[in-house]
Amino acid sequence: MKKILSVQTRRGFLAKSATGATAATVLPRHIFGAPHTPPSEKLGTALIGCGGRGPGTYSQLCKGSEVKLVGACDVDLTKAERFSKARSQGKAKAYQDFRRLLERKDLDLVAIATPPHWHASISIAAAEAGMDVLCEKPMTRFIAEGRAVVNAFKRYNRVFQIGTFGRFIRSEDKNSILKHKIMASGLLQDCKGVRMKKGGLKIKQWSGTPGIAPQTVPDSLDWDLYCGPSPWKPYESRRTGGTHRGYWDYEGGGMCDMGQHHFDPEQWTYAKDHTSPVEITPFAPPAHPEVTGMWAWVELKYADGFKFVMESNEWGPSYDRQPVRDVSMLDLSTEDQKKIESMPDPEPLLSFGEAVKQRKQAGGHPEAAHRAACILHLANLAIRLGRKLNYDPDNEVFIDDNEANRFLNPPMSAPWRV
Amino acid sequence: MKTIEIIKAFPQPEGKILRTIDKKACEEAVDQILVGGRKLVREIVDLILEPGNGDDVRPRHAIHATAIRVGGSGKQKMRNTFSADLANTLADDRPLAVKGFVIRQLQICAGLDQADKIAPFLTNPAEHIYEYAAQALEAIGVETVQYFRKSYPQAKGAPRLTILQGLGVLEDKNSRDIFVSASEDKDLEIRLTGLWSLMRIASSRDIELLLSQSLKEKGWGRIKATAYCLELAEKLAMEGQKKEARTIYQEIKNSRKDDHEDYLRGCADQGLSLLN
Repeated sequence: MKKILSVQTRRGFLAKSATGATAATVLPRHIFGAPHTPPSEKLGTALIGCGGRGPGTYSQLCKGSEVKLVGACDVDLTKAERFSKARSQGKAKAYQDFRRLLERKDLDLVAIATPPHWHASISIAAAEAGMDVLCEKPMTRFIAEGRAVVNAFKRYNRVFQIGTFGRFIRSEDKNSILKHKIMASGLLQDCKGVRMKKGGLKIKQWSGTPGIAPQTVPDSLDWDLYCGPSPWKPYESRRTGGTHRGYWDYEGGGMCDMGQHHFDPEQWTYAKDHTSPVEITPFAPPAHPEVTGMWAWVELKYADGFKFVMESNEWGPSYDRQPVRDVSMLDLSTEDQKKIESMPDPEPLLSFGEAVKQRKQAGGHPEAAHRAACILHLANLAIRLGRKLNYDPDNEVFIDDNEANRFLNPPMSAPWRV
Repeated sequence: MKTIEIIKAFPQPEGKILRTIDKKACEEAVDQILVGGRKLVREIVDLILEPGNGDDVRPRHAIHATAIRVGGSGKQKMRNTFSADLANTLADDRPLAVKGFVIRQLQICAGLDQADKIAPFLTNPAEHIYEYAAQALEAIGVETVQYFRKSYPQAKGAPRLTILQGLGVLEDKNSRDIFVSASEDKDLEIRLTGLWSLMRIASSRDIELLLSQSLKEKGWGRIKATAYCLELAEKLAMEGQKKEARTIYQEIKNSRKDDHEDYLRGCADQGLSLLN
């Protein structure tokens, strides 16, 4: 197989470092030497990406912590100023360039609500600057970014939580806990489970508009910085402000916008936080180069046979390869059922606020968030490539498909890189 | 069938989006494009316009769909032929923005045989075409490094930074001197790209340079340069050079004394513990 440039593997030097909720080594920024921020003091916070979901994401960041907003950042400076005014009477400094914000020495927690093409680079930079991060979904724009985020948060022992919270509800639900235990036990060989997400992925709502003529860049917007790691394109207003979702350069349509909400809790329930599908089969027409569009269904099969299916319900035929079927205790022998009954329940998931205080992994930690994002990216890649893909979830590469591998870690625009 | 008729299989926006699309018709159109060869590919590229100069949604879609179709195992011959036909249009007299689109499609399907058609754009600062060229060559693979090496001395401004990063992406050990020189440049991003590239080639003889530069930098530069030191330590450790990795961790532990950099001492401690 041809070597894939720059893809960091999960079997690197940091593989031995703390990864799970039991890890007690997620040490706070100030724990070594004399802490300069006593626990009684407020944590310094900032929001990067102040439009759209930004204020809501910032509120999530603040839950359960005593905080003080010290900075607000947006490539459109007026949005940063507006947020600072609304949340700190303008006392928090407004920035246009996140690099200047991250240089601050009084920052502890950062909420990231930019379009997704910036999520990985800024999350990594925030970890490198010693901060804990709550990042909007989807976690990344492509798969190698996710691995880089996982590695950075291990390297720096920072807390990361993805901005979707359905797994917290699932992790307290009796039925979901039982399914989690069945799947985590490894007792189900040749699993027959097929879980379908039918509709609700906003395919048309978040399709992009092709062929719009370039427009004049607004004075308050740093367009080059907006494009950042993604390929530079002439400014069109629909590439920003929510409708960015419909452009491959920034997100992955409704699949990525809504998918992490749905599949993050599903992934927890079916105990797939540590792995990814091995076969991805799509039914979709040829995709447009710039904008997201229509597709019918995608089937994603894991190594144990378990399948997730997405059906758009907005275009094309219905999925008919297999009936939907959940896993249950009836899939196991009586002896194995007893083993499941004797298994302890999984550890409770920690919220971001709890994780920051206890210096442990949050429930939506980087590996889980990355694997959930991979479901969406793999589905989208199968849609874009129009062919069945075979994926190696350990090395995170496609098997015998060098052209597909070019989409796993597409080169970034300098000086951005992961 | 006329070119315009073939690409009519692809949709036009309805209510702003590509709402109605006929999968079978689009796939048959791609079949026809592949049969039509160089002449048809050129005729379709001729229909692609500079952004804002008219409607070219269909020809862009058609070229992209064909670039995608030729990917995957068992399609080498088809891929080579289409990529060559598409790359040949770069020599035509057409707007740079259109050539930029063509290069982005070559990023999907082209091989080393097309690299010499893409490489001349590496130093061209207009329309960001240097960026598209660099990314296409990086996607093609490490064999394209010669084009980056050859272009770097002539490049200025944004193309220079992009080419330098390309050498780092391709982990070109032969460009070590370029990376060392870049790490002392007056421009912060050039310096950081030089340091990042040195980290990528992971030679233990650059430990001192990375560590000393990380201490000289302030603010963003210091954050990133320190990150490259830690990543270099991990790479060296993975290659069995534990003593060298230990040197990096120990130096970071000893040199980051400010309260706000205490977390870095934690990283160094973690690294040291993983070496044992």
